Amino acid sequence: MVATDEELVARSMAGDAESFNQLVLRWERPIYALAYRVIGRDEDARDVCQETFLRAFRALPGFKGQAKFSSWLYRIALNLCRDWIRRKKRTPVVDMPEGVDVVELAAEQGPVESIEDLVARQEMSGIVADGMRLLPDEQRTAIVLKEYHGLTFQEIAELQGCPLSTVKTRLYQGLSVLRRHLESRGMTSLHNGRAS
Amino acid sequence: MSDTFVCDDKDTLIAYLYDEIDPIVRRRVEDHLRVCAACAAEVTALSSVRVELASWSAPERELDFQFVRKPAEVLRPAAWWSGVPVWAQVAAAVFVLAVSAAIANVQVRSGPDGLVVSTGWMSPASAPLSDAGPATVATRASDESWKPALAALETQLRNEIRSGRDVGSNVVRASARTTPDDVTLKNIELMIQASEARQNREMALRLTQFNRDVNVQRSADLVKIDQIIGQVAATSGAEMARQRQTLNYLTRVSNPQQ
Repeated sequence: MVATDEELVARSMAGDAESFNQLVLRWERPIYALAYRVIGRDEDARDVCQETFLRAFRALPGFKGQAKFSSWLYRIALNLCRDWIRRKKRTPVVDMPEGVDVVELAAEQGPVESIEDLVARQEMSGIVADGMRLLPDEQRTAIVLKEYHGLTFQEIAELQGCPLSTVKTRLYQGLSVLRRHLESRGMTSLHNGRAS
Repeated sequence: MSDTFVCDDKDTLIAYLYDEIDPIVRRRVEDHLRVCAACAAEVTALSSVRVELASWSAPERELDFQFVRKPAEVLRPAAWWSGVPVWAQVAAAVFVLAVSAAIANVQVRSGPDGLVVSTGWMSPASAPLSDAGPATVATRASDESWKPALAALETQLRNEIRSGRDVGSNVVRASARTTPDDVTLKNIELMIQASEARQNREMALRLTQFNRDVNVQRSADLVKIDQIIGQVAATSGAEMARQRQTLNYLTRVSNPQQ
């Protein structure tokens, strides 16, 4: 039976380092993805991810469990991202990961996705990343938390420390900027998507 | 809250888009979208943006962060005495204790006042003085009798010093005769066995990791070689096709009558 986050947290607080390793294994990927999309640099995202878990490990005795462990981690990671952006004082940019080329990606993807689809997806990924770069930090973070981590409006509001309506406004404004950006790149209404 | 949805209500539009909305309000939005082409188009466009957002993925990197609490003894630098056998360490400790006791002149006496523990040179010396009380009284009685008393005191002090040395040397000899008993030897054997087992485990772990790294590197190299061969084959094929076209062209040009 898989232990819950709360159980692993309790064991970690009792001194079981292996339980904390399990928490790291469970959450390193989402935290890394969050950091990557917010600050946009692979290596820095790795650093932020690692620092997030280090700080969580140190602060674990003070974790009282009022919030979910994941929310607590997200908060630490977002604070680190904010510090990083403030420290660097530069607009986040998105680097393509080093050493990745189409052929290698095709080999990883297998026969499910053709090379043409792969190239198109890469191109679209780059355009989306460019669009995200245009957004203010708060809007970008709100979109990342909503779209890629599936948080509720309320959870995002708590993480960003703002009212619920502000989160909705940030999402609307961010999506509108992205919409204009995609349209300017010829991606006008490619999909007849319906509201989910 | 009004019974109808208005176009400017972007918060509700976003709530509808992400399906975090009260069912009643949702129905109102849907009613509105059926009659308002502008809002319907906006919802469609924003939904399309959401679909495009899914194409942006974070790199698939091996993170593999580990937080392992090392045993305390691993973190400490090895002590210089770690190579000395346990029995020798015990003997050395007893020796140091005995020498210290000899230097400090520790004396334990049982008397009418109970058990008396005294250290240092001055206190024990006072006891013989009190023992020599009658001699002191005799000194008062006769001014000439102070010399034998002084000689007796000197003798007493010399005996005290000699006895202190003897105690130290006896303890040293006793400690030198100390040999590891069966329990100590057993403990040493157990420690050695545990150490060997730990070293074997570490060695096995490192060998496994090395083996895995070699395999991963080998697989990666094979994939790269395969890709390079494929690229070379593709390039060669294209070059051959181009030369064949050139040859055909030259053939056609050199035989215009055909």
